[in-house]
Amino acid sequence: MKKITLATLFLIVLFSPVILAQDGEESAPPPFEQPLLITSAGQNAEILMASVLAKRAGLDSKLSKIASPKDLENMKTVVLVLGASSKGLGAAGLDLAKEKERVNLLVEEAQKKNIPLLCLHLGGEARRGPLSDELISAFLPFAKMAIVVKSGNKDGFISGICEKYNIAIVEIEKTADVLTPLKEAFK
Amino acid sequence: MRKKKVLFINNPILSLITSLLLVFSFYCRPKEIKILEPPSDRHQPYNFVGQKGMVVAAHHLAAKAGLEMLKIGGNAIDAAVTTAFALNASEPFASGIAGGGFMVIYVASEKRITVVDFREKAPQEIPKEIFNDEGKIEPNGLAVAVPSALAGWIYSLKKYGTKNLADVTQEAIKIAENGFNVSQTFSRINKDQYEKIITNAGEETCYLNKGFPYEPGDLFRNPELARTLKLIVSKGIDEFYKGELAKKIVKAVKEKGGVMSLKDLALYKPVEHPPLKGNYKDYTLFSIPPPSSGGVHIIQLLNIIENWPVKKWGPNSPAYIHHLCEALRFVFADRSRYLGDPNFTEVPIEKLISKKHAKQIVSQIKPDSTLDFYPFGKFEDKVEESGNTSHICVIDEQGNIVSLTHSINHFFGSGIVPENTGFLLNNIMYDFSSDLNSPNALRPYSRPLSSMSPLIMFKKDKPYLILGSPGGTRIFSSLTQIIINIIDFDMSIDEAIEAPRFFTYSSQGKPRSVSLESRFSEKTIEALKNLGHSVRIREAFDKYFGGAQGILILKDKKVILGGADSRRDGHGEGY
Repeated sequence: MKKITLATLFLIVLFSPVILAQDGEESAPPPFEQPLLITSAGQNAEILMASVLAKRAGLDSKLSKIASPKDLENMKTVVLVLGASSKGLGAAGLDLAKEKERVNLLVEEAQKKNIPLLCLHLGGEARRGPLSDELISAFLPFAKMAIVVKSGNKDGFISGICEKYNIAIVEIEKTADVLTPLKEAFK
Repeated sequence: MRKKKVLFINNPILSLITSLLLVFSFYCRPKEIKILEPPSDRHQPYNFVGQKGMVVAAHHLAAKAGLEMLKIGGNAIDAAVTTAFALNASEPFASGIAGGGFMVIYVASEKRITVVDFREKAPQEIPKEIFNDEGKIEPNGLAVAVPSALAGWIYSLKKYGTKNLADVTQEAIKIAENGFNVSQTFSRINKDQYEKIITNAGEETCYLNKGFPYEPGDLFRNPELARTLKLIVSKGIDEFYKGELAKKIVKAVKEKGGVMSLKDLALYKPVEHPPLKGNYKDYTLFSIPPPSSGGVHIIQLLNIIENWPVKKWGPNSPAYIHHLCEALRFVFADRSRYLGDPNFTEVPIEKLISKKHAKQIVSQIKPDSTLDFYPFGKFEDKVEESGNTSHICVIDEQGNIVSLTHSINHFFGSGIVPENTGFLLNNIMYDFSSDLNSPNALRPYSRPLSSMSPLIMFKKDKPYLILGSPGGTRIFSSLTQIIINIIDFDMSIDEAIEAPRFFTYSSQGKPRSVSLESRFSEKTIEALKNLGHSVRIREAFDKYFGGAQGILILKDKKVILGGADSRRDGHGEGY
């Protein structure tokens, strides 16, 4: 019994720096603050899901499908939902070039104002392809964090960008699972 | 007994006759059909096989429900209605009791073909100014037309079926109660339509999984629909058109800004009329007359194609695609000029389906370039992206046939679900033209122009092909291509259905780009560009072009082959 106690104490002492460090990391302030502006890069349907998630997480959010720099007024976070929808772009009267220009202006202004960017990719495998990938490559590098539905990152494309630009990434199984990391990001 | 055995063995003549009879009976035995397992690649052509009867539909549970009905002695009409109810439970985003459609029925004992038209109608009080500045209707209650599918199914059942309402709803109720695992197709469409569903049906609806779209493999159940169907069984369909369900429908429509009344529902009646008839080579085709444009345009297209050596050109050849695209542009020009509800506008059907009119079009088509203008063209840009709607094919042992196409219009219809009912209301009002001078203009109680084209084709005097498809304005183009694949390119049913498709149209007299599935070769695409076509490449198997179901009846080989489109979740069940 004594031996076990001593061994346990030894292990605690041995790993205490690690435990403390981890604890320290967990208690670090979450990177994002409210209110948040939700918009998409690609006019996808998932922007509505992001809005429902924000509402369920109790976050103070504003949704704008065609957000411009003036929508950043009083905002403390930009949530950018990545993925192109031909149908959505058509309905908004935009093509990919115009959509890129819109998001670019928004992100540039957010950078100037030190408003952090949280990127979401919720459409899974179906929301990948040349158009979506072009938008992901263009805007994900500016993010502080990415929350991604796993099936959309089967080929490691999204995690590859995150690794390159040192962006924290959380992979989840289903859209509904975004709720927990989203809440934690804004605690 | 023993004595007889000795006699048999010792009689060489009798023994020889018996042996010959045995050999003869072996060769003349009913041939066993070798049924192959479905391939792991769903897009690889695969014919479902039967000998007595078959059901093909857009969901395996619905096809199974229909086949069970045939096996317990129901006829083709019983099975078709059973399948239709089962589709409401298993493929609720494409059709259902609050939609509408058309049914072509072949009554074998009378050798008679008839059409049941249960297209939805505009409510009486519908305002003409429901279109916004872009000529579109907002996705709200004004998009809902008077539901008519339930009335159409039950009219057909009572007149031509043998079973009752309880029999034909039993499987649908089970599917709705027990549920099923959502397919990739269901999940993708659910995600695409999320905004409409959450806006009109709310976060708590069964059409979302706790407020979010269903992922493939998730369990989808609809106990409210099961309760609604049980209520209709116990109280009759008047419950839907005049009772508590009618009140719930009107309330839901009005809450979302619509104008439907109880009177609109109470007055709805399906109509029955003779089919539209056309000929292509040795084949006779029967389909539906207006208010669908589908039957007219398939006959028109086949009349035009008859003038060309398509067999020599071959499938997927630039010459074939170019000529058919040009024909489609003329057909769409006619569509915008002439087609609408015949109760409100005069449609020159005989002229349009005449061989003479086809020859006039053929004479204008150039083999080496596109035209700049297609006379009479005034078709609005209402070619929707959605490949909505659903088709059912049935044949029974007696040879009765049903070819049924029905819809709630766009996927998930209007997204409006009357309180605690579990069924989706249609958004068929979108099919009206916003142009008040169009033959398809919106009028109280008029039926909007459709493209549905359920058909039955005869080879000489025998039923040969049952066919239909969803796919909006692509329907008659896709079905024409499938018919040509079978008749001219000698393909079997599913090969013909899975073959690459293309589509184009004209608008305001001008040609629109050719949409092509990505399986066409670069060489073909380049050749089309050189002929003057602009092209748009779509997915390899794109549901934009529909999800056809078909049955090929090869009586001489005592076999029925079913083809079900892998662009959706098509499935066949034969026995």
